[in-house]
Amino acid sequence: MTHRPYTPWLFLAPGLAICLLFVIFPFFNMIVLAFTDASALGGGQFTGVDNFVRMAGDPKFWAAARNSLLYMVGVVPPLVLLPLLIAMLAQKVVPGIGIFRTAFFTPVIASTVVVGLIWTWLLDSRGLVNSVVEALGGTRIGFLTDSTLLLISSMVVTVWRGLGYYMVIYLAALANVPKDLHEAAMVDGAGPVRRFWSVTVPSLRPTMVLVAALSAVNGFRVFSEIYLLSGGTGGPGGASTTLVMLIQSVGRGLTGEVGYASALSVVLFVILLGLLLITLKLNRREDQL
Amino acid sequence: MKRRTFLAGLAAVPVAGCGLSGTSNTSSSASGQVTGEITFQTWSLKPKYTDYVNGVVDAFQKQHQGTTVKWVDQPADGYLAKVMADASAGSLPDVINVPPDLSFPLAKAGQLVDLDESLKDARPEYLENAWQAFEIPGRGGCYGFPWYLNTGPIFYNKALFQQAGLDPDKPPTNFKELEATALKLAEKKVAILGQTPSIADFGLYGVKLFDNDKFTFNEPKGVEFVETYKRMYDAGALIPEALTQNYTGAGAKFMAQQTAMNAGSAYDLGKFKTDAPSLYANIGITTPITNTGSANMFLHGVSVPKSSKNQATALAFGRFLTSAENQVAFAKLASIFPSTSKGGDDPYFTTEDGTDEARVRVAAAKQLKTAVNYTPVQFSDQMREALLQQLADAMLGKKSPKQALDDAVAECNRLLK
Repeated sequence: MTHRPYTPWLFLAPGLAICLLFVIFPFFNMIVLAFTDASALGGGQFTGVDNFVRMAGDPKFWAAARNSLLYMVGVVPPLVLLPLLIAMLAQKVVPGIGIFRTAFFTPVIASTVVVGLIWTWLLDSRGLVNSVVEALGGTRIGFLTDSTLLLISSMVVTVWRGLGYYMVIYLAALANVPKDLHEAAMVDGAGPVRRFWSVTVPSLRPTMVLVAALSAVNGFRVFSEIYLLSGGTGGPGGASTTLVMLIQSVGRGLTGEVGYASALSVVLFVILLGLLLITLKLNRREDQL
Repeated sequence: MKRRTFLAGLAAVPVAGCGLSGTSNTSSSASGQVTGEITFQTWSLKPKYTDYVNGVVDAFQKQHQGTTVKWVDQPADGYLAKVMADASAGSLPDVINVPPDLSFPLAKAGQLVDLDESLKDARPEYLENAWQAFEIPGRGGCYGFPWYLNTGPIFYNKALFQQAGLDPDKPPTNFKELEATALKLAEKKVAILGQTPSIADFGLYGVKLFDNDKFTFNEPKGVEFVETYKRMYDAGALIPEALTQNYTGAGAKFMAQQTAMNAGSAYDLGKFKTDAPSLYANIGITTPITNTGSANMFLHGVSVPKSSKNQATALAFGRFLTSAENQVAFAKLASIFPSTSKGGDDPYFTTEDGTDEARVRVAAAKQLKTAVNYTPVQFSDQMREALLQQLADAMLGKKSPKQALDDAVAECNRLLK
């Protein structure tokens, strides 16, 4: 058979074209725009680092960055631990386990808007949760009207939505944990808790680092949950606005400040890149140990 | 009130994709021959009004042989994004459905045809206040054919009024009475309103919103207005969600009978009847609360971009679509009102038939003659958000009403540049 060197490129071309058009070009365009005062309708003038100087003195940017950071810190631990525990339960072969696995995976495939609406109805001041609180003699809780509680409520939704996805990753990793390690530990008299900490966790450490990295990146660039629970406002006074919400708010519409929004996007990209590099380094260190 | 939602549930944008290339404003002749193909884009009119729009398109094509109108309807969700993408690329449809606040940035960027210049005889065909809504203040020129209008009464929940020991037949008619009623209702744990004031509400209160190319709603009257809302909020007369609520959200709270009053339109009445029958049974209808004597008006229009390769046909179609005859037919279908000087004379808008719908329709039509589109065309979505956030801070006591308004005005003026 004749080997034509361009054949692999022919197969790659459609994917590469899409990637170039919709990822690479917009990415470089964003970097260029970050140094301009472009608007949705105007080409914009080169303004040097003005957008970044403005950002440094913009309280909205700092508040949004703080909220994104808090969000990340809030969602990573439960998203690393809870799916692991669920995966350990879900890997058991018992009748009806399929229903259990499906139930946990459903939020992953459910429409974000539907999920947002359901949680809004649950957490509204007259919603189901507050009705129960009132019935039990408590006073209504402002889950969606207090900026701190709104952030926490959104974190709960993110964790709830992420459980199934990370559970699947853990299920795949758990299947690769050698059974003989568990058997050897059992022979040595280790109970389930000891086996979890001494066998399961060390075997899954690279997967846990991966889950931590993915959930940290997703947590830092959260948008949908806060957007939907706050009705697109970022909570009272916009106090729960996250970095991605701020980018959307600054850049949207015909009067959007596209240059400044791009500069914010560049900063977000740098932060996320930093996060991933740290994770990569941690992972390498794990491998070397 | 958010004007984008008043018809048939007419209900936002990524940054990437906007280039440094700018946009071309190639101008074809507005006085050329009415022939060829044009594209007409509407805002969420399918499927409810498909037959109506197709009828108008067919009639136009029949009247102007050799023309083809390609109708494209965009869903409400993402409409702004679509217009923004098309405008950035310089590829807007030939005739485009836009409200004044969307036409303003396009006109300011020089992308729309000036009707005062291209169709000098068109202005008298429309209501003066509707025509003015599509002008750029201080610069002149009109950049859109006024299409459908709406205004509305205030709806209130008689059962909640009774529950608080108030006369259900004596709703508040001005802002002073509104506060008194709100405080009485709040004593009985009934919230009267579901949102903080919009810029149009400031206008209805009599606050000077815009002057000499600057926003001015932080004037003493504006501060007084916010102080009124602060007293109501502190008393529990506004629901907690009011701080983050838009018009649609406040409407949903009223339908769920969580608030006692809400501004609405003839369209809402039909919605109450089908979606909230228990509310409909107790619905009270009253005139808009205003200190100026003029109600608020919302409108949509159609604009023709300068980039249209077939401007003459596009202008002819825009005028045809917004003619008195076509608007009256549309109004009868959609609980809206014509923006033409003649359409409002139709008996449909002047004669009551004993039904609540007719009563609201006739009252609204009468109201429209003096109604004002209070929302300044310069007031963008970002400005609306800034006002909402500052008002929330004022209600929560994080800032004084004066400081909150000063900050809102400063941000709006910054965004204006």
